[in-house]
Amino acid sequence: MTKRHAPLTRIELLQGTLDLIILQSLRWGPRHGYGLLQIIRTMSHGVLQVDTGSLYPALHRLERQAWIEAEWNTSENNQRVRVYRLTTAGRKQLAVERSKWEQFSTAVAELFAAPPTEEA
Amino acid sequence: MSPKDRGARNDDLDAEIQSHLDMDAKERIAHGESPEDAAAAARKEFGNVGIVKEVTRDMWGGGGFEQIWREVRYAVRSLLRAPGFAAVAILTLALGIGANTAIFSVVNGVILRPLPYPHPGDLVLITSQFPTLGFDQFPVDAAEFLEFRERNQSFSNVGAYYANAVNVGGESSPARVTSALASASLFPTLGVTPEVGRWYTDQETLPNAPPVAVLSDELWRSNFGGERSIVGQKVDIDGVQTQVVGVMPKGFDIHDQGVRIWLPLTLDPDSISSYRGGHYLNLVGRLKPGISLATARVQLEPMLAHWAQIDGGSAGVTPGQKGFVHTPNVKNHRLRYDDLLADIVGSAGRALWVLQAAVFLVLLIACANLANLLLMRAETRHKELVLRAALGAGRGRLVRQFLAESLVLSVAGAAVGLLVARWGLHALVLSNNAGIPRATRVGLDAHVLAYTLLLALGTGVVFGLAPMLRLNAGAMSLSLREAGSRTTSHASAARVRRALVVAEMALAVTLLVGAGLLLRSFQKLTRVDSGFDRSNLVTFNMVLPAARYADSLRRVALFEQITEQLGQVPGVQSATAMSGLPPRRQVNANDTRFEGYVTKPGIPPQNVDYYNYVMPNYFSTMRIPMVEGRSYGPMDGARSPPVVIVNQTLARLFYPGQSAVGHRIQPGGTVDTTQWFTIVGVAKDVKQGGVDAKTGTEIYLLNEQTPAYEGFAPRNMNIVVRSTLAPNVLSPSIRRIVSAVDPGLPIVGLRTMDEVFDDALARPRFLAELLVIFAVVALALAAVGTYGVLAYSVAERRREIGIRMALGASEGGVLTLVLRQGMTVALIGLAVGLIGALAVTRVVRSLLFGVQPTDPATFAAVGVFMLAVALVACVVPARRATRVDPLVALRLD
Repeated sequence: MTKRHAPLTRIELLQGTLDLIILQSLRWGPRHGYGLLQIIRTMSHGVLQVDTGSLYPALHRLERQAWIEAEWNTSENNQRVRVYRLTTAGRKQLAVERSKWEQFSTAVAELFAAPPTEEA
Repeated sequence: MSPKDRGARNDDLDAEIQSHLDMDAKERIAHGESPEDAAAAARKEFGNVGIVKEVTRDMWGGGGFEQIWREVRYAVRSLLRAPGFAAVAILTLALGIGANTAIFSVVNGVILRPLPYPHPGDLVLITSQFPTLGFDQFPVDAAEFLEFRERNQSFSNVGAYYANAVNVGGESSPARVTSALASASLFPTLGVTPEVGRWYTDQETLPNAPPVAVLSDELWRSNFGGERSIVGQKVDIDGVQTQVVGVMPKGFDIHDQGVRIWLPLTLDPDSISSYRGGHYLNLVGRLKPGISLATARVQLEPMLAHWAQIDGGSAGVTPGQKGFVHTPNVKNHRLRYDDLLADIVGSAGRALWVLQAAVFLVLLIACANLANLLLMRAETRHKELVLRAALGAGRGRLVRQFLAESLVLSVAGAAVGLLVARWGLHALVLSNNAGIPRATRVGLDAHVLAYTLLLALGTGVVFGLAPMLRLNAGAMSLSLREAGSRTTSHASAARVRRALVVAEMALAVTLLVGAGLLLRSFQKLTRVDSGFDRSNLVTFNMVLPAARYADSLRRVALFEQITEQLGQVPGVQSATAMSGLPPRRQVNANDTRFEGYVTKPGIPPQNVDYYNYVMPNYFSTMRIPMVEGRSYGPMDGARSPPVVIVNQTLARLFYPGQSAVGHRIQPGGTVDTTQWFTIVGVAKDVKQGGVDAKTGTEIYLLNEQTPAYEGFAPRNMNIVVRSTLAPNVLSPSIRRIVSAVDPGLPIVGLRTMDEVFDDALARPRFLAELLVIFAVVALALAAVGTYGVLAYSVAERRREIGIRMALGASEGGVLTLVLRQGMTVALIGLAVGLIGALAVTRVVRSLLFGVQPTDPATFAAVGVFMLAVALVACVVPARRATRVDPLVALRLD
């Protein structure tokens, strides 16, 4: 529940990022929602914890934009699950989002690398 | 997406989320948690499943209708969770919208609905004006009608009529119905053809033509069984066997007179000159294609300028001067044109618009109240809103949700409001139809329903916008942490709430002032001295059919016989008869010669407003005091020297500074023009032309002398009985006496004189009553609004109040604190309202009687009343504040 107490402004920021994270995570293969949460947590070494509540609206939004598609499958535990996979359009979108993110992080990194000015 | 697809997707979403929860739970069990703990933890980790589903479904998109439907369903569900709020909101709206619908259906039926003729906008009422006599609208004479048809350039056709009443049916049980004597040209002018049979021809309006009649649909059905075979048959009309030639369609009428039978207006083109000066006709003209009323008015001027010369006189000559011919002219006897519908609506139009405005203000106040309610609801739902935003619901969605909720409320309110309107129309308007014209046209038609729908949508949007102000005020930038905690007070929201209450109070005060002014006017109207003692008087009307009562002496004898017998009924003190019944007499404006009087500009012309033919005991029965001279006595017989009694107004006007008694006058129509009538007395003024009008000049002529000196006697007389018995007790005796004398004479309008006056005041009463009801509702709503906002504020400030009390503030101190807050708002509202009232009450000036629009007493009374109500509304929450337990309040957060 800790995540829900984060400021709304960070959630807003996360929202754009959430799409990127989901698209990127699906590059490693089709996943259901629960699996996606797990893989994001694992791959980011537990730093990124996506709020469960906001995952499903995001998945359905991406599905409507045709960047991902879904089908019902049976999991290894013999459970019916809805599995999402990346579409061709989704791959293109991922590339766009990714280059945006890289520009952003490079810019922030350069900002941090700049020599310190005199404190006022 | 079809609803079926959507249902399947809903099931999919449920399954998807359930599988997520199951997987999470299994994982937790694998880590050693108990199955119950695991399921609960999974759920807790997931968050609010319902809201997540809701927001997820939003992502599916869908068509406009589908989205709307979704919002509506969501709004209904959310309102069902707050039934108290929903009920209060819907009932408030039902009252507001219902009252608006009811009043609008009156405005629609009376003012907006066109007259039921083809191209009704082309119909013009043509009447005359006598600026020198002070008559603004007066009938025209028959000569003018005939000449006007020939001479005018503006109208394709012109018809003439005057409304009267006739006895229809056999000897034994005749019915008295409203009739119109109409020219054959009236019907082509109006453009309506009979439903059965035909209209009468010009030939049938000539003297000595066989008598014919056209029935209204209403009379045809009620008295003749609706049989088509009635056409061609003969019926008894005022004792004359008259052939029915046609039946008019349902609802056909002229000038809202309620005409039930149409009879030819007999005019002889050869005796046109004998018709001059006898003003009794109203003309209706149909404008030629392409000619507007304004153009017609311009074309009127040259016609008036030449009229007198064509008739052998000079234009603009004062009556009585050489060269004067009684025909329309530019100066002292003009024709006027009025839009027919506007003339029918007349002064009722302003009264109805005032009511419409008033009831609209009530709705505005109701909206302000609801806006406040929704605002408070939005505050308490703040947490849910922020959560939705966090899950990715767009602001547009939230705005749509608020709108959907308020629209669901307002449409439900409108639906209930229609029931309120139906009931209200029945209770208030239709039972009051003496007061407003065209009342039969009032109803809930398509226009009214469209208006109601518009109101519902409008109010929904208006009060639905209030919580959005709150959203825009930064709800979205608020932190989730704050949303999770108890709602905090926001100064901006509190300001909006207070402003709404100030507005409510101000509107209510404006309405109260308006209602107060009209109420005082009405009270003043009821207290006007009518000039006679109208208590314990019973009156009814009788008309003698001309055919059977051609002899004037017989007419006089009949009324003498009936009043004499009535006077002997036990419980009756006296009975008399008179031709003119106050207070709603039509002005006669008869030319009258005053002996030795020289007419010149600047002094009143020789004309008398009212002629009243009365019986000798008239003044004693009516208890009209004689101011000077004597009343009629035994010395005044049918053939003794003719006498006349005048009223105070006439005496003052024509005999200023001297006694009128002993002077002589000659009423118009006197057979021997050397015969003068001696004024023997001056009677106190009687309100003949309306209690709100200034008294006109009047002469009383002795009915029994009129056959000898005037060569006629009135057929239409009002019988007046002074008795403490009620009309229904007297009624059998009256019927027995009248039918013993002549069974073919109907008794009409049997009622007390008080009722006659009440009827005359129907419209001001209707207006004052409704406005007072609206104003009280408005004040109640404003008081509830004040209470609500203050109670909310007290609840919000419980902690602060608790601290104050813990720090030693007294109960009185807390009481004062809250009261000051509430009364400040009320006082500002009062001040704004009073200033608003000063600006607005000017529009009701023409509806007031004996009261200025700035009447200080009304303003003061409204101020005191409103403050008292506001104080009550504030005391309840203030007292609740004093009962705050400091310990509980401090522990609240």
